[in-house]
Amino acid sequence: MVTKNVEKKAHYFQRDNKIVNLSDIKGVEILSSKDAWKKYDWVKRHFSSKPIEGYFIWVKEQISFPLVSCLLLASHNAKQNLQNLIIIEKGLKVCLVGTCTSAKKTLHGTHKAQGKIILKEGATLDYKHSHSWGEQDILESNYLFLLGKKSHLSYILNLASSPKKFNMENEMIVSEKASCDFKLKGIFNLTRGNIQDRLILKGKDSSGQVQLRMAVKKKSKVSAISEIRADASGKGHLDCQGLLVEKGSSILLEPRLTCNNKEAQITHEASVGKISEEQLNYLRMRGFSETEAIKLIINGFLKV
Amino acid sequence: MLLKVKGLKVKGDGKEILKGVNLDIKKGEVQALLGPNASGKSTLAHAILGNPRYKITHGEVVFDGKNITKFPPEKRAKLGIALSWQNPPAIKGVRLSLLLSNISKHKANESLLKNLSEREVNLNFSGGEKKISELTQILSLRPKLVIFDEIDSGLDIKKIKEFSMIIKKELVDKKVSVILITHSGEVLKFLKPSLINIMIKGEIVCRQKDCKKVLETIKKYGYEKCREKSTLLSEG
Repeated sequence: MVTKNVEKKAHYFQRDNKIVNLSDIKGVEILSSKDAWKKYDWVKRHFSSKPIEGYFIWVKEQISFPLVSCLLLASHNAKQNLQNLIIIEKGLKVCLVGTCTSAKKTLHGTHKAQGKIILKEGATLDYKHSHSWGEQDILESNYLFLLGKKSHLSYILNLASSPKKFNMENEMIVSEKASCDFKLKGIFNLTRGNIQDRLILKGKDSSGQVQLRMAVKKKSKVSAISEIRADASGKGHLDCQGLLVEKGSSILLEPRLTCNNKEAQITHEASVGKISEEQLNYLRMRGFSETEAIKLIINGFLKV
Repeated sequence: MLLKVKGLKVKGDGKEILKGVNLDIKKGEVQALLGPNASGKSTLAHAILGNPRYKITHGEVVFDGKNITKFPPEKRAKLGIALSWQNPPAIKGVRLSLLLSNISKHKANESLLKNLSEREVNLNFSGGEKKISELTQILSLRPKLVIFDEIDSGLDIKKIKEFSMIIKKELVDKKVSVILITHSGEVLKFLKPSLINIMIKGEIVCRQKDCKKVLETIKKYGYEKCREKSTLLSEG
């Protein structure tokens, strides 16, 4: 759930469908997507349709602090339908902290987000994205990351508490000598989850790794299809691991490797398992209750 | 009496492993449990700690006057019983320093840990590092009774002496009761137990006070002869 701290710090803060704060920062243009659509013609090609809501963040000069965005569901049955666009100009190094969350556990809200993140040549983006939802919420998210030549993306999505439905698609297209480090980790509780991600090594000497860590509890059913496709002479590695915490939960894990270039090297590792009885008993003999021991093991598992 | 094990029968994976074990440990006493591989020594240790993998079918465990036979492991740990595992499991993503800060308010012995504290618990630890990790955790717990399961396995004689001296200073001299499980007996040269228990096929077949004599007898006749030589290794 969102903290007062994040609310205060957020350069873009949206509560339900209303923009609460939109900061004026030197070298960064932050607008609503609606206003960006009106202001710049070139922006239109990056949206699938005229945006109703969402943010536009264009980093034009080097900044020395992290940009913070916060999208909050605060009212009962609130529905967000966002189109977001982030552009990082050539050679800039940017940190972004994004929070998407629900204020309460039982709001029955919907967070639908579509977005594009563009890193121009030599740009670096360190993006820490956290999601925390109520058990009746619905999440639908679809993002495209375009990594320009020699750019670098480090993306960590942390799902702290899961919604009723969690549908997430991500595609990362990596250009020449660019690199992508994509991590998604989360605890799924009473959730129907569908995750699809695809890393495309498009340019010569591009590289990337995808790491998925899913701890699945309380009758959750999660399906994750994770793919690396090498169209050029790049290197990629896929590391998907699922932990079934309780009976009645299920994980479908499908790692895919598609190689269209004989110079490319792509590898994967994948596993689904349960909590080890030995670990559990070891921790209990150190004085942890069973619940505390499980929590510690899950937190350790999710550290990537 | 700090620990009283009475007629303990224990099953593991449906098979009877312990066939009626009796064991008494006084406060501050050091005892040893010797026996060949798969004789049931570790099973006894885990049963005393309440590992759910082992099912007690008969008998009881009394600690500090309380019948703890049905207590969960965490409750036994909180009462002051600790086990140093022979092969402790690795816990990915959990730093040893985090584990130590969670199991005890007491500061861990940093000089013992050296560079281990920021590593993941037991992950890719060498044999010696595992023993250090176990010993540090045990000392942090400030227990009343510690069972060391094969503390000397995989250690050279110098390390065995070093570990033994720490156990003596930090536990034995502070009147903590200790059970030393071993099949090599090396550790006993430094920690001088008051009683040696010999376990074969799930039973304690004899007890002896004279450590040197027991080790010599085992060397000469082997464990399997202990039952036959029980007159020689008589109750001390």
